Order: sequence, then structure tokens, then C-alpha cells
Amino acid sequence: MSRLGYLFDLGCVPYRDAWALQQSVAAAVGQGAIPDSVILLEHPPTITCGRRTDEEELHVPADANVEIVETNRGGKSTFHGPGQLVCYPILDLNRHGRDVKRYCRDLEEAVIRTLQVYELEARRFDGLTGVWLDRPPRKICSIGVHVSRWVTTHGYALNVDLDPAPFTEWITACGLEDAAFTTLTAELGRSISVGDVRESAAETLGDVFDLSLEPLPACDVADLWPQPSHERIAERSKGEQAPTDEAVSVR
Amino acid sequence: MAAGTAVEVVMPQMGVSVSEGTVTQWLKAIGETVAPDEPLLEISTDKVDTEVPSPAGGVLSEILVAEGETVEVGTVIGTLQAGEGAAVAAPAVPTDPEPTVAAPNEPPAAPAVEATPAAKAGTDDERRSFVSPVVARIAAEHSINVSTVPGTGRGGRVTKKDILAFIESGAPTAPATPASAPPPAAATPVAATPDAPKPVQKSPEPAQELAPGEHSERLSVMRRAISEHMRHSLEVSAPVTTAFEIDMSRVVAIRERLKGEYAEQHGVRLTYLALITRAAVDAVTQWPWINGEIRGNQIITRSYINVGIAVALDDGKGLIVPVIKNAEEKNLLGIARAIDDLADRARNKKLSPDDVQGGTFTITNPGGFGAIFGTPIINQPQSAILDVEAIVKRPWVVNDENGNDSIAIKPMMNLCLTYDHRLIDGAYAAPFMRDLRTNLETWDESRY
Repeated sequence: MSRLGYLFDLGCVPYRDAWALQQSVAAAVGQGAIPDSVILLEHPPTITCGRRTDEEELHVPADANVEIVETNRGGKSTFHGPGQLVCYPILDLNRHGRDVKRYCRDLEEAVIRTLQVYELEARRFDGLTGVWLDRPPRKICSIGVHVSRWVTTHGYALNVDLDPAPFTEWITACGLEDAAFTTLTAELGRSISVGDVRESAAETLGDVFDLSLEPLPACDVADLWPQPSHERIAERSKGEQAPTDEAVSVR
Repeated sequence: MAAGTAVEVVMPQMGVSVSEGTVTQWLKAIGETVAPDEPLLEISTDKVDTEVPSPAGGVLSEILVAEGETVEVGTVIGTLQAGEGAAVAAPAVPTDPEPTVAAPNEPPAAPAVEATPAAKAGTDDERRSFVSPVVARIAAEHSINVSTVPGTGRGGRVTKKDILAFIESGAPTAPATPASAPPPAAATPVAATPDAPKPVQKSPEPAQELAPGEHSERLSVMRRAISEHMRHSLEVSAPVTTAFEIDMSRVVAIRERLKGEYAEQHGVRLTYLALITRAAVDAVTQWPWINGEIRGNQIITRSYINVGIAVALDDGKGLIVPVIKNAEEKNLLGIARAIDDLADRARNKKLSPDDVQGGTFTITNPGGFGAIFGTPIINQPQSAILDVEAIVKRPWVVNDENGNDSIAIKPMMNLCLTYDHRLIDGAYAAPFMRDLRTNLETWDESRY
């Protein structure tokens, strides 16, 4: 019997607001106040540096319209932008085997299964965390995770439909020289949107971690923990809220 | 733990498949003080960065593994001189999240099992590396340390059959619980209802017929979290409430005298809550189980008191419980300032998730609304919650120096303590409350 989990599907959220949100959700998950939760979103163009990012990895053109943010996740630099599905599972690994390596393999598994929906055979490469297509190797999904008291933050970023040039031209993504980056759209030769992939991404993640994910509106996260940045997220997604969130009266 | 005891910090085990880790950053420098459980360093394995909490409170005295170096799990990477802040009854080396968390759940027969020939067939490390994912998953689900399971496979390897037999044999099968939090009632009970999650979420409102005059709105995550947390508390604890009447004459007089000075010289509001909190913290130091916790079959007590103050949110949206950390180190001014600051930041939505972590004792203040009696629910995994009621002028029988009774008008206040009878008996809670009453009725300014 799978456990209940919450799913927050948030649209496009600035990196720092999303990070504040992750911390709040992680605190609530860590205290057992809410079950394991999964955040799905997109970021505006952002370059994030992990703790082990080297200076030489960044070679952003002066005129590039991109935010650069330092983060506390594992891994090196990467690029986020619209057209990339970002998935932040906030899980208490006490319920998922307490093994950070296995957690990475499980994240990869979820992405591999998501890509199978599109009949793409993706694979892992030993020592190169992430999800790849092969012959020649090209990376379609990056992974970086932070763990505190066994609660995870950060997660994976799956390239769906965006120009992969920034991965190589602006940065040496993940510190990998010569690595090629690809997207679902490029692989399939037809346009796939993040919206198309979201559902199967949530479903495969739920399967892999044995979670039954309940979608919740963004306003719930703002309520959960009063922070101005959370309210911005709720405000932004107001138009997208399902009608069932409205209060109903009978007179 | 006595002051000056050296405590080793070891590279924690971040999973059965993880044999080594890299120190990425020491968050404290040598000579710096660290509180128990405060993040001490960060390590990385694969693409995962992990915060390692300090095994004890004290001063970081030695860094043996520098940033960038990779060492095997279990390697001593630093030393602490445990000091005042050291955990009292916590396990000695809880650097590794695993022992801290798993210890209470481990089968008591573990040493005997380790001594069997099968268990000796391989070293711990070898055996770990031989565990199949299926076994690892089963072990994790049942909170079993695989190295305590007798293995019959090649080289002492633990097979699926072995671990299932181990579970059958009566090993504890409770799901792993984080040290700092109860198993989220939110996850289990809801999921345990056969058709709970999905059908409910698909059609929450239309499924329920509203009668004329009724109004319906969706239960927010905040409300769900509170409801699960409260229900969970009643499921796991045995709450009892005891009430004391307190003559607040002296506290009222002292507050009247000090509040102007606090406001002008320190810019701090001196509230009754601050005075009561200070007196309560003083009493808690004498009665450590009030500040304790039942964790598995261990009683955890602490040399620090982190007081949670329940704060109601606007519009009845719920409540948050920001925490005054190390309240025992603060005098009245420090407590008043901390409460002022937390209330201020709660109002302005500036609290950080860290502000609500790690509470060990909670104070709730419905007296602000005029309440005179309450039976609050314990904020798990804590053991007690103090309910502060309204100060009300009441006729009170007083005894003068000549031994004559008379009726006086006194500012009286009730304090109600709900405590967990699993840990705390009435004969423990009542004298705690008696001492708290004495602290308030005979307020000693030289002490606070």
C-alpha cells in the first residue's frame, strides 16, 4: 500500500523563491507535519552552482539574460530555464531506505521510466549521476541533491524543450568537458512541452518511491508557512487554481 | 556528559551502498562552539551533499580530515570537547544519523546475533556490499540493521529469506522514525484507509451534499498537518492535565516597575508571558523530564531547554510554534527580547524554518483571550505543554503575619500543565508546578 504524498505543481518560479519554499517544505516534512512532498516547476533562465563548482566552469557571456545562484546541493554547475521540468522531491529518507546513493539511483529510475513513456531508452553511466541517452552519450537529465537529517531537497532537472546551448556555451555543466546535452523535443523530432511530461513524471516518481501523490494548490504551501516569497508563488498561480479550491456555500 | 569529555566525530554511514564520503565543508572552525545536533560539517557522496549534525555540544577541538579529502565511513574526522551544551542521555556518538535513529528500534539481541558463525563469515563492510537491493529495501522498511541479521548466503550474505525469517522471529517491524520527529501520522493513517488518497482528492467538494445553510471549504495543508499532529499526539501519549492557582501580585508589581525601563532602555516589551516563561524555564531545570522525551525505549533528557511559544496566525489559518533556543541561558531581558522578536517576525512573516525546529517544551497562552482553564495537547515528541491562563482579580483568602485569615483582592492566574503520563507521574508534575508557583509568587529579581 503506497503512502500518501503531496504534489505541488507550481509553474514557473524564480530559483530563490523555490529554494525558500523547498526549505519550508523540508522543515515540515522533517518534523512529520506533512507527508513526503514533491514540487514540480520550471525556472526562469538560471545558472546554479553547487558547492563543488570551479571558477572555470562559468563562462557566461556578459549580455546573457540569466541569474546566477549559489546553492547547497551536491554536484557542480547547471543551467535551468523554461522548457525544463524541475522536480524537487522533499522526502524523508528514513522512510526510503536511508541510502543517499540508492536515492540517486531511484531518481534516475523515475526519469528513465518517464522517458520510456516516450519510447526513449535512457540509461545510467557509472559515476556520472544523471540520465543519459547513448550512442553517442548525451545527457537529458541532471541530478543534484542535498540531505539534512535524512530529508532531501533539490532533485532532478529534465530537459524537455529548450535550447541546450547554455549547458556548454555558458557553463561547463556538471564540470563535464565535452559532454553533449539533449532534450526530449530534440530526441523525438516533435515538440513536447513540460506540461505534457509533468503527469508521467509525477506518476513514475510515485511508483518508484511508493507514494500516492495528491495534487494540491500552490496557496496551500503559502498557508503552510507564512513567508512573503511563498505568497508570491501562490499569487502567481492563482489563475491556474482548480475550481474545487473555492469555498462553496449553500444558502 | 561531563565537561571536557572528548567526543569523536566520525564519517557517517549514508546508506548500505555508501562506503566513503568526502568532507566538503567544515561549518565550524577549530575553537568554535557547536550546539548538540547543530550542523557541524557537510559531506558529499555521489551528487548528494549532506549536513552532518554535531554528536554533542561543545567546542570543535580537532579537524582530522580536511575539506576535499575522502575517507571511509566510520573514520574519525574530528574531535569535540563536549561542554555545557552536551547531550545528557543521548547516545554517546550520534554523529552518524543511523545509530541515533535506529538504536531504539534495533533488536536487543543484536550482540548475540553478531557472535554467530554466520555473522562472522564476512566483515561488516563485505556483508554490507553483498546485500541485494531487495534485502536493503526490506531492511529499511523494517528499520533493521542488516549487519544484525544472521546471513546464510555465500560469505555470510543476508538473503531475502534470512531477513524475512528475522522479521518473523519477532524483530521490531515499526517503520524507521526520525530522531527529531514522530512518524508522520499524516502519512500512515490516511494511507491505511483502503481507498483514501486518490478518490478523496479527485472530488472533494461535489462528493458531499451540502444542506441548506451549510458552507464548505477545502481543508488546507496547514489544517491537515495540525489535525494529524494533534491526533498523533493523542495516539502515542497518555496526556494528563494538572492545574495550579497562582497569586501574581508580586509579578504584576515587578512588571509594572520594569516595563517602562525595558521599553525605553532596551526597546523590548515586557509581557507576562516573558516573566512566566523565565520562571518556567528555571523550574524545568530542576525537573528535567518535563523537558524530556521518550524515544523508543530510552528516556532522553537535555542540558538545554528550547521553549516553543505557540503563536496563532491571522484569520484562524492555524498556528506556528517558533522556538526560543537555549532558553536556560537567557535572563528575563533575554527571554523578553526573544519573545518580542519571534512575535514580531511571526507577524511580519519573517520566521525561518529553523525558528520552529528543535523545541523541547511548549508554552501556549490562551490567557490572552481571557481563558482560565485548558487541557492543551502535547506537541510531540515533547512530554509537556504549559497552558498560561488569564490573570483575573479574585477574592482570595490570605493569612496575615498574626495568623488571621482575611479576604483580599488578588490578581490570580491559573497555570495548566498537560504532561505525558508515560514518562511523568503526578508526583513529578505537581512539584514542578509547585516550584513554578513559588518562582512566580516569590519572584527573586537577583536570580532573573
